[in-house]
Amino acid sequence: MNKFKKHGVNICFSLIVVGLAVMPLLLIGNVVDAPLIIFLGKCMAFSIVAIGLDLIWGHTGILSLGHGLYFALGGYGMAMYLKLQATHGAITEFMHTGGLTELPDVWKPFQSLPLTILLILVVPVLAAYMIGYFIFKNRVKGVYFSIISQALTWAVYSVFIALSPITNGNVGITEISSITGKIRGPTGQNNLIILFYGSLAILALVYALAVFLVKTKFGKLLIAIRDGENRTYFSGYCVSRYKTFVYVLSAAIAGIAGAVFVNFNGSITPSQMTIAGSINMVIWVAIGGRGTILGAVIGALLINLCEYNLSSGGMIEIWQYIVGGIFCITILFFKGGVVGLFTDQIPALMKKAKGGKSDAPIG
Amino acid sequence: MKKAFVKILAALTTFALLSSLLVGCGSNSGGSADTVTVGLLHSLTGPMAISEKSVRDAEVLAIEEINAAGGVLGNQIKYIEEDGASQPSTFATKAEKLVGQDKVVTVFGCWTSSSRKAVKSVFEDYSSLLWYPVQYEGMEQSPNIIYTGAAPNQQIVPAIEYLIEQGYKKFFLLGSDYVFPRTANMIIKAQVSAAGLETVGEEYAAMDQTDFAAIISKIEAAKPDVIVNTLNGTGNVSFFKQMSEKNYDASKYMTMSFSIAEEEVAAIGADILKDHMVSWNYYQTTDTPENTKFVAAYKAKFGNARVTSDPAEAAYDAVYLWKAAVEKAGSFDIDKVLSVIKTGEISYQAPEGKVTINGENQHLSKTVRIGKVGSGGLITEVFSTSSAVAPDPYLTTYDWAVAANIKPLE
Repeated sequence: MNKFKKHGVNICFSLIVVGLAVMPLLLIGNVVDAPLIIFLGKCMAFSIVAIGLDLIWGHTGILSLGHGLYFALGGYGMAMYLKLQATHGAITEFMHTGGLTELPDVWKPFQSLPLTILLILVVPVLAAYMIGYFIFKNRVKGVYFSIISQALTWAVYSVFIALSPITNGNVGITEISSITGKIRGPTGQNNLIILFYGSLAILALVYALAVFLVKTKFGKLLIAIRDGENRTYFSGYCVSRYKTFVYVLSAAIAGIAGAVFVNFNGSITPSQMTIAGSINMVIWVAIGGRGTILGAVIGALLINLCEYNLSSGGMIEIWQYIVGGIFCITILFFKGGVVGLFTDQIPALMKKAKGGKSDAPIG
Repeated sequence: MKKAFVKILAALTTFALLSSLLVGCGSNSGGSADTVTVGLLHSLTGPMAISEKSVRDAEVLAIEEINAAGGVLGNQIKYIEEDGASQPSTFATKAEKLVGQDKVVTVFGCWTSSSRKAVKSVFEDYSSLLWYPVQYEGMEQSPNIIYTGAAPNQQIVPAIEYLIEQGYKKFFLLGSDYVFPRTANMIIKAQVSAAGLETVGEEYAAMDQTDFAAIISKIEAAKPDVIVNTLNGTGNVSFFKQMSEKNYDASKYMTMSFSIAEEEVAAIGADILKDHMVSWNYYQTTDTPENTKFVAAYKAKFGNARVTSDPAEAAYDAVYLWKAAVEKAGSFDIDKVLSVIKTGEISYQAPEGKVTINGENQHLSKTVRIGKVGSGGLITEVFSTSSAVAPDPYLTTYDWAVAANIKPLE
């Protein structure tokens, strides 16, 4: 039984993975339809980016309101590769309309898959490193960091809109299939299943990496930075180096998530890197329970499934109020989110009900 | 011991919650014996909601009228509404849900070009059918989309021809920074220079820009005869208010707008827009018996304060055109419907006059109307083409467009 106590969170994650893994079998058995599988694929991408966000926000206490930027950078990398696959390396329609006659230099590396995968990681990493290095070295923190991360996202968004012959402006890169081939329609089922399991494996790997990291001394240091940055600093640790590292790591994870997302979505637009989108990601983590990794996964799945099911039919004009209401209630009454509710609040209540003294802190 | 038990319970509950959410979206397929299900896909939340609501309302009106008159092939039409939330990736997800999961027979939807481009491959991959009701920049032709709004040669090109005829010589191009204004201006520049006239400026504003001081001073410096305005959404409100604060009215700087219809006139203010020109295929004042009926029905259903506009009318037509195509095909089957559309014989006596689906490019032939904003907020027609103009989304029938290399990529 002690094992369960120790690994309850991981068991819960395993159950989610098993639940997701069963879905393609249900697709083969015609119990569910392909759109649901594709949507769950997108949800897995959102879970991956939420894990990265939980590492920096939940564990290190840095609130980034601009992770949509790294998500979109990864997504654009993947989309550029897939678009060139569709055009067989020729220039695209929108480049032609924009007056270009040959492929722009920034597009050229995306003709090769290994280089694309490398760039999906390297571009967000370099961008995050440049920002993180200067910001953390100058000890910018708290709300100032959040504001800078937002402004940066907005700046890059404007650049992507302005460079429309290269990026296709606000329409973005559309009409692409996935890395395994066409996933939609009757002929795409096998490709979809392969892609789905591949993405599930990525989700599990990212989760394992995050859980491993927070258990090491490095992870303890992140929490030390969150709870007492000055003390950590005076204990002789170079706080800015740790912060930069974890920020860069979460950017890389966001890039991977973006790449996964594009495969399922079949298009990418700059609206993916708007401030609203980035704040959504923070909401997933907050509702799932920050600082638990599992919470990030649950939050992303839960909120997106809610939105998927609520934003049609009778609730179509009020669904945003419902989601907003859930968020407010969580922040006000369940600070630990869904995970905190089950690991802290309910056990505390049960102990109280039994007359015992509560030793678990509420909230 | 107990804590562990609780944790397992927690895990199981979470899992159960998730699965119940999944089951919640299980399959409910396309309607029973005497109903047929269509999808409506518009933004009902987010910044585009204000525009798309009118289009959605027009579609609902048409569906209810058809149902009251006995339905299509004896089937009552049921509709499933999905919210695109002004976000292209949500449009893609919801389009997929409608055609792949709810198995609707057709979808009426979208407004922005970015949402249409995001769902285009979904409709193609599932071999389904989308009716797109808004004028747009052209340069597109999908076998799975019917475009019931104007192509550029049914709005932009004739408007510029009209301005040239009226003796305007110096053109200033102003637009929001996205695909429609950029493509429109590319076309206009080619057309203006082919006529031997001059484009004296080209400026783009961010989608939600509210400060137009810099742009207005560029206009003052360029001294244009006419400003060709492709601003969209809130940009129009700010631009025209700031022009009027400087006492610039239509006699000082005439404008020709492509995204200002009755709804936008109401938002900006009729006194500010008085005598400025717009170009569409339909106005609320368009004088046909069908329009009198349409305007009356729209106001009766949605309130007397509401106005009809070109996109709303095009959306209304889309539903009736779909009905005509289905009845001609004798079936809801997409392949059969598409093959009767290919004959080019599907037409409808619309509020704007007779519209016909072009079998080749699946756009409509439409009458072009240039209008002037009157003091009451309504737009009155000052010029119209004598007959419906055939759609030409790639402008292949215009020598100056071919010469300027405005054509699709081979």
